[in-house]
Amino acid sequence: MASPFSGALQLTDLDDFIGPSQDCIKPMKVEKKLGRGVAKIHIEDDGTYFQVSQDGGTRKLERAKISLDDCLACSGCVTSAETVLITQQSHEELRKILDANKTAAPGQQKLVVISVSPQSSASLAARFQLNPTDTAKKLTAFFKKLGAHYVFDTAFSRNFSLLESQREFVRRFREQASSKQALPMLASACPGWICYAEKTHGSAIIPYISTAKSPQQVMGSLVKDFFAQQQHVTPDKIHHVTVMPCYDKKLEASRPDFFSQEHQTRDVDCVITTGEVFKLLEEEGVSLSELEPAPLDSVFSSVSVQEPTSHRGGGSGGYLEHVFRHAAQELFGIHVDEVTYKPLRNKDFQEVTLESEGRVLLHFAAAYGFRNIQNLVQKLKRGRCPYHYVEVMACPSGCLNGGGQLKAPEMPGKELLQHVERLYSMVRTEAPEDVPGVQELYEHWLHGKDSERASCLLHTSYHAVEKASSGLSIRW
Amino acid sequence: MKDSLVLLGRVPAHPDSRCWFLAWNPTGTLLASCGGDRRVRIWGTEGDNWICKSVLSEGHQRTVRKVAWSPCGNYLASASFDATTCIWKKNQDDFECVTTLEGHENEVKSVAWAPSGNLLATCSRDKSVWVWEVDEEDEYECVSVLNSHTQDVKHVVWHPSQEMLASASYDDTVKLYREEEDDWVCCATLEGHESTVWSLAFDPSGQRLASCSDDRTVRIWRQYLPGNEQGVACSGSDPSWKCICTLSGFHSRTIYDIAWCSLTGALATACGDDAIRVFEEDPGSDPQQPTFSLTAHLPQAHSQDVNCVAWNPKERGLLASCSDDGEMAFWKYQRLEGL
Repeated sequence: MASPFSGALQLTDLDDFIGPSQDCIKPMKVEKKLGRGVAKIHIEDDGTYFQVSQDGGTRKLERAKISLDDCLACSGCVTSAETVLITQQSHEELRKILDANKTAAPGQQKLVVISVSPQSSASLAARFQLNPTDTAKKLTAFFKKLGAHYVFDTAFSRNFSLLESQREFVRRFREQASSKQALPMLASACPGWICYAEKTHGSAIIPYISTAKSPQQVMGSLVKDFFAQQQHVTPDKIHHVTVMPCYDKKLEASRPDFFSQEHQTRDVDCVITTGEVFKLLEEEGVSLSELEPAPLDSVFSSVSVQEPTSHRGGGSGGYLEHVFRHAAQELFGIHVDEVTYKPLRNKDFQEVTLESEGRVLLHFAAAYGFRNIQNLVQKLKRGRCPYHYVEVMACPSGCLNGGGQLKAPEMPGKELLQHVERLYSMVRTEAPEDVPGVQELYEHWLHGKDSERASCLLHTSYHAVEKASSGLSIRW
Repeated sequence: MKDSLVLLGRVPAHPDSRCWFLAWNPTGTLLASCGGDRRVRIWGTEGDNWICKSVLSEGHQRTVRKVAWSPCGNYLASASFDATTCIWKKNQDDFECVTTLEGHENEVKSVAWAPSGNLLATCSRDKSVWVWEVDEEDEYECVSVLNSHTQDVKHVVWHPSQEMLASASYDDTVKLYREEEDDWVCCATLEGHESTVWSLAFDPSGQRLASCSDDRTVRIWRQYLPGNEQGVACSGSDPSWKCICTLSGFHSRTIYDIAWCSLTGALATACGDDAIRVFEEDPGSDPQQPTFSLTAHLPQAHSQDVNCVAWNPKERGLLASCSDDGEMAFWKYQRLEGL
């Protein structure tokens, strides 16, 4: 089975067909008691292990389980074994929660919130031959039919990711003289890229990565902090599910940084891919196009949303475009209308330049796919990176081409991607600072743009993963 | 009548270690060897003797597994278990490491230069094959990362005249790659071997490919272009490859290397049973179903596994071999009929 993770994640020692027990070096904490004799182990028919003590008493032994959190913290392997992927995050997990809700006592019910990415939406729109607005409305209807209470669009939380990236870049550009690792700034929204950088290059690359959270995780903060307060529930009473175009987002949601110790809850409880949503639709025997559209929800309740909105700059969020235009204005007073992308050695590596009177003021690039990430990182490590900012994405052609997107058996991949790109770009774009609700949230929820709360809730940090050098991890 | 393989000399190339690979430079005047002692040595003749002209010792932290000369003869690439590939530039008798290619996740198993001199391929235990491009300023950039194999990739070799790459793997297959738009793609998978494919060699014309395996056979594959006379089916514009000959029953252990002489068409093999063998195509054999005969068999060519055999590109019949015993040997192969 081809690995569903992005190419970047695949190269980081991802072993297909290896079960966690075989190659995993994660030490398991086991309760051990000193006994007098040798313990006997009995295996039941269903595979459970029982320890049989000398007096005949039995004790069920705990199964060693590897969670995605464990995997993230380890450089041994990231296994694609189905058991690990499915254990905590899948559409089946979502079903369990929804089913449990049906029979739970009122106080025990979870508030189910589903945040859908615009890329997943575009993929579904292509499949069911709907326009983006109808897709969003029918998806809302579908999830509510299943038992979800609110359905949001991560394009809303993306406003914050973009604004924070813009501001961070301008600050770092101004710090160039005093800080050697201020530039280049590297985009942080792609978890495939982040995991690869942390595991393979560690402290050589981490200082360059933007600290702005991805739209998924900003939505996590929005839902579990702001929205929870609005709904008068504690964060652990919300089950937050996101719909994403790739599997790497499942790893992102599992990061310890996105787990609240205080409330013992994750900002994003479960990530399902576009493909898994399709499975849910099939299991329900529902065709998205047949559903009656439902009104769209908004995180910021005093704002009503008639149609989805998006951002300019391509299907991976538009980071380069927004940071570039904002920097041109803030740093040089230059208003840029259209951003011109110049493809270099391949179509997944593009350059953007701001020139004035023959001088290059800003030199940005977009590097998608592992081979381009390789070249970028090698140049950076040798101090030969000519760019101020790079939008880095692990998947060739970006998020619209993520590993979790729908495939069309009859249509060649390239044609399908173009179709999805067209649908994605049909959505009306809006400047992040102008989107209703954004300024209000900065004021009322975050208490200001430069506040400690903004820094805490909209930014994150990265951790170099130590190469495990124990005997168990050496391949003989 | 059996043809002969005569020993010309032995040299302890990598003492107390394994000698893993040998490569003749394009003019056939120098031989590069590499081994478990992490070194690359450059050998040349002085009269009848082979002497070490250079030792490249500062390049790698672990075993050097393969070396390859650029088509112009001015550069040498060395692939190492330390996950890097060094590019050395020749300056008379000195070699200077001008760049180190990083990126593979673990041991690099092979490196090969394309005939054009602009492209380089590497492969690794991380199951990937990388294609690199070198520009005028000796800067190397990764052009493609190919993840077609499902296991350790043992060897890469370029087609002698087309821009096509072949790789051999622990997954029992041989794969072929070509450039498509702005990326490289796998255009064929050759299945048939029942175990690890260790090495590959194209025939001088590039129409045929020889592979050798842990399954103790050598297979010869032929390329069939779309619309071929023989009626071999092709998909789209990609050529098809068919196994046209299997040499089995000749080797008693894993065959680690195979070399196809560009001057004579003779096929030499390096075997885990310590022997060197030479095969030649029978005159008048059907091109679509050729037959090969064993024309030389030298048991105990070395005291341990023979890892590599390499034909000199300019001197007919001159064959070099090396072994786990750390030695390299030189042989004269001649057909006693006096061809």
